[in-house]
Parts: sequence; C-alpha cells; structure tokens
Amino acid sequence: MREPLISVRDLRVQFHTYAGVVNALNGVSFDLYPGEVFGLVGETGCGKSVTGLALLQLIPPPGEIVGGQILYCGQDLRTLPPAQMRSLRGGKIAMVFQDPAAALNPVFTVGEQMEMVIRQHRRVSRRDARRQAAEMLRAVGMPDPLRILNAYPHELSGGMQQRVMIAIALSSGAEVLVADEPTTALDVTIQAQILDLLVSLKKERGIAILLITHNLGVVAETCDRVGVLYAGSVMEMGPTTAIFREMKHPYTQGLLAAIPHAERRGRFLSAIPGSVPSGLQIPPGCPFHPRCAFAWDECRNEIPSLLPVDEGHWVACHLYGRGRR
Amino acid sequence: MKIWEYILRRLMLALLVLFGVSLVTFIIARVVPSDPAALWVGPRPTLEQLAAARAKLGLDQPLPVQYLRYLGSLLRGDLGVSIKTHQPIIQDLRAYLPATLELVLVGMAMAVFIGIPLGVLSGARRNSLLDHFSRLLAVAAVSIPTFWLGLLLQILFFRELRWLPISGRVSIETTLYQPIRTLTGFYLVDSLITRNWPAFSDALLHIILPAFTLATYAIGLSIRMTRSTIVEVLEEKYIVAARAAGLPERTVLFRLALKNAIVPTLTVLALSFVYSLTGAILVEVIFSWPGLGSYVTAAVLSADFPVIMAVTLIVTAFYVVINLLLDLVQAALDPRVVLR
Ligand SMILES: Nc1ncnc2c1ncn2[C@@H]1O[C@H](COP(=O)(O)OP(=O)(O)O)[C@@H](O)[C@H]1O
Ligand SMILES: [Mg+2]
Repeated sequence: MREPLISVRDLRVQFHTYAGVVNALNGVSFDLYPGEVFGLVGETGCGKSVTGLALLQLIPPPGEIVGGQILYCGQDLRTLPPAQMRSLRGGKIAMVFQDPAAALNPVFTVGEQMEMVIRQHRRVSRRDARRQAAEMLRAVGMPDPLRILNAYPHELSGGMQQRVMIAIALSSGAEVLVADEPTTALDVTIQAQILDLLVSLKKERGIAILLITHNLGVVAETCDRVGVLYAGSVMEMGPTTAIFREMKHPYTQGLLAAIPHAERRGRFLSAIPGSVPSGLQIPPGCPFHPRCAFAWDECRNEIPSLLPVDEGHWVACHLYGRGRR
Repeated sequence: MKIWEYILRRLMLALLVLFGVSLVTFIIARVVPSDPAALWVGPRPTLEQLAAARAKLGLDQPLPVQYLRYLGSLLRGDLGVSIKTHQPIIQDLRAYLPATLELVLVGMAMAVFIGIPLGVLSGARRNSLLDHFSRLLAVAAVSIPTFWLGLLLQILFFRELRWLPISGRVSIETTLYQPIRTLTGFYLVDSLITRNWPAFSDALLHIILPAFTLATYAIGLSIRMTRSTIVEVLEEKYIVAARAAGLPERTVLFRLALKNAIVPTLTVLALSFVYSLTGAILVEVIFSWPGLGSYVTAAVLSADFPVIMAVTLIVTAFYVVINLLLDLVQAALDPRVVLR
C-alpha cells in the first residue's frame, strides 16, 4: 500500500474554558493518502473543525493539543519549529473554510491576496506572482482571471469566492487540502460544482483532500474513504462504499437511517434519540453508549478501541470487538 | 471622474458651512456687550476719537451692510485687522498658524507611530506583559494633566539629562548665526529646503518635548481605539485563513488586520488634530511656542473679535477639509464604502 501523506495518531485536543476543560478530541487517528478524498463526518460540535485546524497547528486559544502526533512525511508537526510550520501552511498543507465571504479579506483585491500568499512561499517578482495567480484562477475554473484579480471579494458570487479560496490555498503547491464544510454556505447547484472541482483537483494534481462535512450526501458523492467522528472520537472508518453498504457502528447506522430526514428537514440525526454530549462531560466508556440501543455494561465502562473488521474498514464498538477476541 | 465630482460637491458644502459660521460669529460679535471702537482707540478715549474709530471700522453702518462688507473682504482673502494691535490678521496667522500646524502634525505623527503599533501588538497579545503596559500607558496618557507632564518632561530632559532644549522653536544661536529663511513658516520644512542642517536639527530637538506633550492624549486614544478594533478584527475568519495560508504574523497584524481596523483610530486622531489647533494653549505657554492657541486666547481676553472670527473660520475650514480627507481615506481603504 502507498505511504500516507499525513498520519494522525491518537490526537487529543482540549479547550481550557471558564466552565472547565472541554475535551474536543479524545484520541483521533486516521491516515490521509495522496490523491484521495478522505471525508470526516459527524454532527456539529463533534470535533471536525478542530481536527482540521490541528493539522495546521492553528488551534485557537484557549485550545491546545495535549497528546498524540500529526506526522507529515515522517515529521511530527507538533515538534516542528514555528518558522518551518509556517512555510508548510499554504506551502504544503492548505485550508479552505465554510463561509468564503468571511474567509476572504474584504479590503484587498483577489489579486493582492493571491500575490501575498504566492510571494510568501516563492521568490518571484510581483509580475510572475500575478501570472501564477491568473493561471491558478483558470485552473479552478474561473472564466476571466484578469478581471477577477482586480475584483474585491464582495464583487464575486459565493461560488466564485469559494473558487478563489481554493485557488489561494493551492497557489503555492500544497499537497494536502483541508476543506472545512466548503459547500455548506453555498446554493445546491453551486455546491455540486465546487465538489466536482475538488474531485478534479484530486485527480489531476494528486492532491490529498480532507473533506470535512456533516452532509452524508456530499460524502457519498466525493469521498474515497470516510471517518465517522462522534464526541471527539473516530467511531468507524473505511472505504465509502463499505461504510454505506456495510456500516457496522450503531452510530453510523443511525446517521445513515437519518438521511431521508436530512433532505426533508435540513438537518440529520433526527433518527437517533438523545443529543450529542458536551465536550465538558464526555460519558465514560463508549461516548455513544447513552444513545445506543445495544449498549451493555462493557460499553459504559470501557472505551472501545478502533479495530479492523474488514480490509481497511475499522470500527470502535464492543459489538465487534468481542467477537474477534 | 466620479471622485472629483464628489470632492467638488463636498467643497461647495464646505463653503456653505463657512458662510454659516461667518454669519454666526458676526452676530455673536455684535451682540456681546463690548465696544470695538473703544478697544481700537485705547484707554481714555475722547468722543471724537471714538466717532472716528466707529467710522473707520464701519460700525456706523446698518448691521446687514456691515456683514456684507465683512463677507466682501473675506472673499478677497482679507481677514481684517486686529482691533487691539491694528495688525492685519493674515500677517499674524502667517506666523502662528505654521508654528501650530508643525507642532500638531509632529504630535499626530507620534500618535500614529507610537499609538497604533502599541495598540496592534496589545490587541494581538491580550493579557501579555506588553498589553498590560500599553493599557496602563493609555490610561495614564489620557489622564495626566498637560501642564504637569510638560513641566515634568522639562525637568527631566532639560534640567537633569540636558538632552533637549527647554522651550522655543529654535535656540538663540540659530536665530543669530544660522537663521532659517522663512518660506512656508514650518521650520523643519524651511531648514530642510534651504539645507540649513544645524537649524534643522536644532528645530527638531526643540519640537520633541512640546509635540510629545501635546500628543500624549492622542497616543492614549489611539492605543485604546486600535487595540479594541484589532481585537475584533482578529476574530474574523479571514485572519485564520491568512494564517492557514502561511502568512507571517507581522503581515497578518500590520497589513491584513490593520487595514480593516484603522479607520476608527484615524477618526479620533482627526478630531484630536482639529481640537489641538486652538486647544494646545497649555503646551504653547509651557514651551513658549508661538502658536494659534495663545494668539486666540489673547484675542478672547481682550474681546478682539476680528481675530476670534478669523481663527474660528480657519479652524472650521480645517475641520471640514479634514473630514473630507477622512472620508476619502476611508473609501480608499475599504472598497465597500460608497462615497455619496
Ligand atoms: N474556541 C473554543 N473554545 C472552547 N471550546 C471550543 C472552541 N472551539 C471548539 N470548541 C469545542 O470543541 C468541540 C469541537 O468543535 P468543532 O471542531 O468546531 O466542531 P465541528 O465538528 O462542528 O466542526 C466543540 O464541542 C466545542 O465545544
Ligand atoms: Mg465546524
């Protein structure tokens, strides 16, 4: 098998708030391979964005990575000196966000913002940076790059803004793109276009994409593999087809059962009773056990570990752990 | 060009404002119980002298005629004559206005180059030592009485350290041996143009203490204002995005964030600038700085209305022009601002 570009191992993140310690990530592990889209799904607050920000070492205070490793090319990003980490950001690992209108600086033109990033990573003249910026805009499917370069973000539509964000993110040769809900703020038709763009960038440039979303439809359309996150832990992980056809974890089953509701009501998980635990009080044992129809004693006391059930298909659930032992 | 249209329209409006101000000051000057003719003639006037003065000053005419005459001379650029010194006011202003402007501009530069960076760093590193220091500084700066600070600085930098001169715009030696040829009335500019280096450095040393004393309030304001807007702007998503793109903190703070945060600071600085034109009197007195503040204060004390009216008009003109500049700067900084 190929070497992963990024390996996240047992990642733990805490926020030290006045209300107490919020355990946002409680030992998250996954690999990201070149040329794949890995989807990270889960309900709001389960730790998806925090995972994405952790890859760039940009957890905002009062948050802190308290354990685990993030390996990129064999180096642990947690121990990388700040200057080197900075050149990785945008240079090797880039990120795009949910709301492109808010993620673009309103008082600089698209061209100025792109030039700034390009010249931060490459020693090129302003003219060359501008030429590269125009090329990148063309690569993300912008019809009239020269006009876009001189435009301010508010003069563009939401879909164009997100294309610009992607162009900025990839303008300096990033190999890994963290896309945090990149289509959530967009119209449905535009959503499909942006997802198509991401898939084509993966195919044409071999970029690895960590696609963060709460939308299983998006996962089904774009992801090669999926990780299901719940209360800061990976519940199940595997090829998209396996997850959709042979989901093992009761939580995943609940998620998938909720899909028709999602389309009707604009949110999902109405099928699972109870609510997501707060990071302040993660239930002991399996974090899902209070909402799980199959929970028994072991689930309340012991944290299930992520174990393989099939080729590349992993589940953290005592239902499956027991049979294997 | 659209922008020229806008500027032209604003300048027309400014003329209207100036016209209104001239009318109001004129009315006040005539309503207040003081006799310009008596002031013109001096102590113990005779009735004939008073009548002659009244005729000379046009006070024997009906009020509307007086006002129209006043307007007429204003339009010709004639600000009138001081009824106390009998000097043409424009001549006095040529000396006092550049002195004040030079002082205030240097002070504003200090506020910009000290206050804004401190505010940015303080907002970026909340609750750090630097933040505590600059917040303390900001509170101290707006609450220290000017006269006390001025005297303190004189004691420290003149008497104790002997680094800086105590007062005046230049030293006597400069006046005697390296006199500055007056072109603009700004000593720093004039000595620079004429390459009179000894005079330039002398003028520079002289302006430091008074400008700083004058600027402390503005420094305090700009620290606080910049800090609070920067704190807000740093919460924005585009700041995270900029960091995620690998831009260094220096660029993030002083380019990306500051451009979004600077307008409120510039606004308070502009107001403080206009206020200082006549409000710098304490600084002018302490540092023997021949400025507009002392000039207009003397005029007020002796009810020298032509001077008061002239200075009011000048300050109003500055106020309107600076507000116009502020709007233009804001539009230049933020493409979403529409000038109308
Ligand atoms: N700035 C913060 N301060 C405190 N807690 C935070 C902060 N950001 C995130 N968290 C906590 O981390 C958890 C995960 O958040 P996040 O990754 O943003 O969720 P999502 O999966 O919706 O992207 C949340 O439960 C939240 O309580
Ligand atoms: Mg999120």
